[in-house]
Amino acid sequence: MKKILRSREALITGLLILLILFTGLFNSNIFKFNSITEIFNASLTLVLISLGEMFVIFTRGIDVSVGATTGLAAVILGTTLNLGWPIGWAISAAIVTGIIAGMINAVGITFLRVPPIIMTLGTLGIYRGLMRIITGGSWIENLPQSIKEPNLWRLSGIPFYVWLTLVVIAITAWVTLKYKPARYFYAVGDNEEGAYLLGIPVRLTQFAAYTLAGFFAALAAVVFTSQIGFVSMNAADGFELKAIAANVLGGVSLTGGVGTPLGAAIGALFMTAVHSMLIFLGVPGIWDNAFAGVILLTVVYIDYHVRSALELQRRQARIRGDASLKGGES
Amino acid sequence: MNWTRYLRTWEFALVVLLVVEILILGMINPTFLNAENLLYATLDFTHILFAALPLTLVIITAGIDISSVSVMGLASITLGLAWVAGINIFVALAIALLVGIIAGLFNGFFVAKTDVNPLVITLGTLFMFAGIAQGMPALLDLLGFKAYGSAGLAAYQYEGITGLPDNFIGLSEATVWIIPYPFIAVLIFAVILSLLLHKTRFGRYLYLIGVNPKAAVYSGVPVQKTLVWAYVLSGFGAALAGSYLTAYFTSARADLGGDALLPIITAVVLGGADILGGSGTIWGTLLAGLVLGFLRQGLLAIGVTNDLIQVVMGAVLVTAMAVKQLMNVYGEYRLNRKALANKGRG
Repeated sequence: MKKILRSREALITGLLILLILFTGLFNSNIFKFNSITEIFNASLTLVLISLGEMFVIFTRGIDVSVGATTGLAAVILGTTLNLGWPIGWAISAAIVTGIIAGMINAVGITFLRVPPIIMTLGTLGIYRGLMRIITGGSWIENLPQSIKEPNLWRLSGIPFYVWLTLVVIAITAWVTLKYKPARYFYAVGDNEEGAYLLGIPVRLTQFAAYTLAGFFAALAAVVFTSQIGFVSMNAADGFELKAIAANVLGGVSLTGGVGTPLGAAIGALFMTAVHSMLIFLGVPGIWDNAFAGVILLTVVYIDYHVRSALELQRRQARIRGDASLKGGES
Repeated sequence: MNWTRYLRTWEFALVVLLVVEILILGMINPTFLNAENLLYATLDFTHILFAALPLTLVIITAGIDISSVSVMGLASITLGLAWVAGINIFVALAIALLVGIIAGLFNGFFVAKTDVNPLVITLGTLFMFAGIAQGMPALLDLLGFKAYGSAGLAAYQYEGITGLPDNFIGLSEATVWIIPYPFIAVLIFAVILSLLLHKTRFGRYLYLIGVNPKAAVYSGVPVQKTLVWAYVLSGFGAALAGSYLTAYFTSARADLGGDALLPIITAVVLGGADILGGSGTIWGTLLAGLVLGFLRQGLLAIGVTNDLIQVVMGAVLVTAMAVKQLMNVYGEYRLNRKALANKGRG
């Protein structure tokens, strides 16, 4: 029981199910297969961005430039496609853009020692500015069919991109839980000096985290461009904040070293689902932000109380010398 | 000599930077070397200063308040709706400022009463306040305030509320001699905050909380109360910024100030405040705000596009921080060398 209480993934999944059931009371259309897949489909961009952000938050950093990186990568993808590049090359160019954008953050943070929020706030401005400079401020439209096509692919009724994202989540989850160097992200975030003394390459780990954030942001850009079919100048605007919110909702703690890819993905799904629910409930879209904010604050508040209560219980147990509860230390 | 101490401070470096910048801009375009023009140019970024000055206090406590950009819009739309409802414009202004204070109280209590990262809390309130600001016109419609116009108040959501009275709009343009009212307000605000920060016990508490919150608790500092006040001041400053923008753009909108986050934090950080807490000054923030504001004005004047300016601003922020960090590293290196050399001699 305690374990479930502690698991943020469980809390947020429970809330999500409650939210769907509640919406279903008023509009049973939500239980339709298509509605559910549509919610999944709409959340993919945020899920991918959040997965990248997760690595950075693991290392106790923060990256507020991921939304801008997505926008920049989408612009590169759209521009190269309209220049007549084959789709493979265009996608590669977008991914490389994302990786370079991430590496620029990484160099500033790990080598120049600029605090993460400052560095990424700076590059947020830079990448957004570059987007407009490249396109001259106009939207990128008339993209070739080759990029829009995959959005229509379906496999047993489920869109191709949902499958793709599920595979990405599965790989990320498997790697972070089973592959030893991936545990370095947790170690560095939990205790940077301790990790250094253990011989973990701290700077390299941080470097990798920001690079991964850029990579995932670029992946999101590919999905985003394919789904929307054009690139506007405010593409993925504000997604950096939503990605951070998604991670926090999913139990990835900003104090570093805590969380799972599944949590981050569910958090992102939740953020998008709230939007869809409001549509199903007939609430005007202008309330989206208010609901997202209230839910984020509520979840962190509940989490704070659960943590405090567990901490109190643990201390009382320690005073009583209760050996059976000592296992709950971690 | 005591005064040489001032020559080595970061604030002095910023003054030099400001003077050099104005001289360079003056060489490119001589109209810049006119005090009246310079003061008039501040109107374009006064809102940044209003929000950045009190944010300095929050950052000194190792906190952060990113919700201020939403509070600007919230204050603006509150002011507009109150006026539409027939309230005197200056009472409406007071209500808008009160909304900022309430927003700050909410942030402050949440930060003080829980151990949740201030970034997460103010991220949540950033969404919440923006949402409330966007939804408020529609909400008032729902509550039955339907008397105003055929499309209802919700129409203001997209159009903004215009036609505000001249005696309010005029506040953003009026001058004492050649100094605009808003700039005088900024200076008064800076003096008050600076006295609070540097001459009162409250100010010392802020630094102590930023350096070591546990030590602050154990030495009997009213940590929670101090934190709440810091966030309240930040909310108030943001509301002031939102109200100013309303007068400056002659329109009350829910999305005013949405893109101000980068310049606000840049001003505080370039002003010498450490994002990890424990250092920073009001005058540093004010000077940095002026340096950045004039830089923007100057670049616009020589025909640089807004997009490129955004890139330059980002680069300035990153470069300034990198130089500062590298200088710290170099300073430590020099101290170490010195210590080793002394040891060798001894």
